[in-house]
Amino acid sequence: MRLLKKTILSYFIFSAILLITAIPVFYYALKTMMVSNVDEDLVATKTRIMPLLQRVAESHADSNFNFPGYDIVFEKEAPAKNGDSIYGVELSGGSAEEVLPWRLLASHFVVRNESYSLQIRTSMVDKLSLIKRIVFVLAIVLVGLLLGLLIINQVLTKRIWKPFYSTLQRLRDYRVDKQPLLRLEQASVKEFSDLNRAIEQLTQRDYQAYTSQKEFAENASHEMQSPLAVFQSKLELLMQTKPLNEDQAGLITDLADASKRMSRLNKSLILLTKIDNNQFLEKETVSVKDVLLKLLQQYDFQIKQQSINVVFNDAADIAVEANKTLIEILLSNLLSNAIRHNAEGGTINILLKAKDLVMQNTGKLSPLDTQKLFQRFQKESPDTNSLGLGLEIVKKICTLNNYTIQYEFSNELHTFLVKF
Amino acid sequence: MKILIVEDEEELVKSIVSYLKAESYTCDVANNFNTAMEKTESFDYDCILLDISLPDGNGLQVLKELKANNKTDGVIIISARNSINDRVTGLNLGADDYLPKPFHLPELSARIAAVIRRRKFDGHSILTFNEISFDTSAKIITVNGKPVDLTRTEYDLLLYLVTNKNRVVSKNAIAERISGEDAEIFNNFDVIYAHIKNLKKKLAAAGSEDYIKAVYGMGYKFEI
Repeated sequence: MRLLKKTILSYFIFSAILLITAIPVFYYALKTMMVSNVDEDLVATKTRIMPLLQRVAESHADSNFNFPGYDIVFEKEAPAKNGDSIYGVELSGGSAEEVLPWRLLASHFVVRNESYSLQIRTSMVDKLSLIKRIVFVLAIVLVGLLLGLLIINQVLTKRIWKPFYSTLQRLRDYRVDKQPLLRLEQASVKEFSDLNRAIEQLTQRDYQAYTSQKEFAENASHEMQSPLAVFQSKLELLMQTKPLNEDQAGLITDLADASKRMSRLNKSLILLTKIDNNQFLEKETVSVKDVLLKLLQQYDFQIKQQSINVVFNDAADIAVEANKTLIEILLSNLLSNAIRHNAEGGTINILLKAKDLVMQNTGKLSPLDTQKLFQRFQKESPDTNSLGLGLEIVKKICTLNNYTIQYEFSNELHTFLVKF
Repeated sequence: MKILIVEDEEELVKSIVSYLKAESYTCDVANNFNTAMEKTESFDYDCILLDISLPDGNGLQVLKELKANNKTDGVIIISARNSINDRVTGLNLGADDYLPKPFHLPELSARIAAVIRRRKFDGHSILTFNEISFDTSAKIITVNGKPVDLTRTEYDLLLYLVTNKNRVVSKNAIAERISGEDAEIFNNFDVIYAHIKNLKKKLAAAGSEDYIKAVYGMGYKFEI
């Protein structure tokens, strides 16, 4: 849910609850006030008319007595002792079904030892309808206020949040390898301009980290390769020294192999860093089939030497838009693994189908540990020629190009499935 | 033959000089950019080994100056930065070859020989060692005047050993020569053994002496 909606919804719920409760409360409060006011008036009226009434009662005139705004009825009755009481009654009005509210004061008075009952009543219709009108107007004002607030809030927040959304969009499009700095629009709201400044500083630091990492990759390459070059050249000079016996030659060979491994390891790590840094930017259409055919030819000797039977089902070709070097590395790592970890006289099945490349090979009779398979330096074989970086490189290349790679083991076949 | 080595890593320079001396090359050394510029302006070299990253400048600038002055020195870039960009830039600027560090000295020697052959003799050169002759443009060899039918790999291998004659060429160096980058993927020593065996067989059949010697499993040597 959007922040905007969330805040507005809270406001709305609060206002609605307030409105729903406030209007009846207000109505009853107003009504209570009105009733007590009317009651006071009734009592005051009684006091005012009592002298008049006594005179009228003495003269035995009509039991109806006119006083503006009040209906007054008195009649003889048996003496009663209870005092005044005020209460609301509903009496039928003009038409039969219409029932109208009245306020009634019942009292007694005594004239010449005769008891009279007295009723003073006043109609509440006008007063109640007045209250209703007041409440109605009030409700309209409140609802109007609420709607107005909502609309203003909506419009205002939209305008206020605009720089935020523009920043968000810019941030979404930002690629550290494409642009050194993110320049954001100035925002009038302090929080947003602070945010923008923080983001600008963040991208700046990111870019610096990115470039220094990139430089590190280059420097590491340079700094490592130079001593390796010295080491290797000295070994080769050592090979030329005379006299040289078999033991010494053996030691030199071991050193040469170690130096070769170091150099390979270094190259592979630099390759990984370069993939991480996305430094393979040139893209072209690469035919997976062609690359595989070329690799099969290159590895022909190894394949023949291990008497591996290669079944290449190349009914379809997969054309991918990617960096050719990376695709070559990807396929070469998969294929060389299939050869290296194969059994003598084993099989390699390669299947190209739609967007899938399936590579199966015989070899170890138990499945590989899928948890560790694509991790750095997870070696399956004690072979010193295996660095334990091949599948990590494969995984990195797949991730970079949004390919997926899966491994499964069934029917004694190790299967790698790449979905391009 | 005069070679200029532009390289700041002193120990590597020493190794290269020491290895190339045996080839009767005269080696000149420049440890930095300025010396390299001075030397290339004052003298002509048959081949220049050029490191790109120098303490006081970029080796590619030396190459640009050479080309601007229409110098015909052969240039091999030796760089620790094995990046495709550097390789392409270097070759586009007119370098003859690009050799990433670390390299094998026999490989360097073979590349220098190839550059010089190309520059000096337009590639048409006949190398003769006793009864064996190489026609480097046609890429064929003859023993006692009779052509020997060698595969491309066998020819390359033989020429490689011959360019480094009388010196041990390590198995790793040969493996890289034969399979290029693939030498890194498999232990190709069986391949080497197979190729050497065939090569020796063919040369012997053509009436050549057995010049190729294995040196304690360390490598091979063309002994003449």
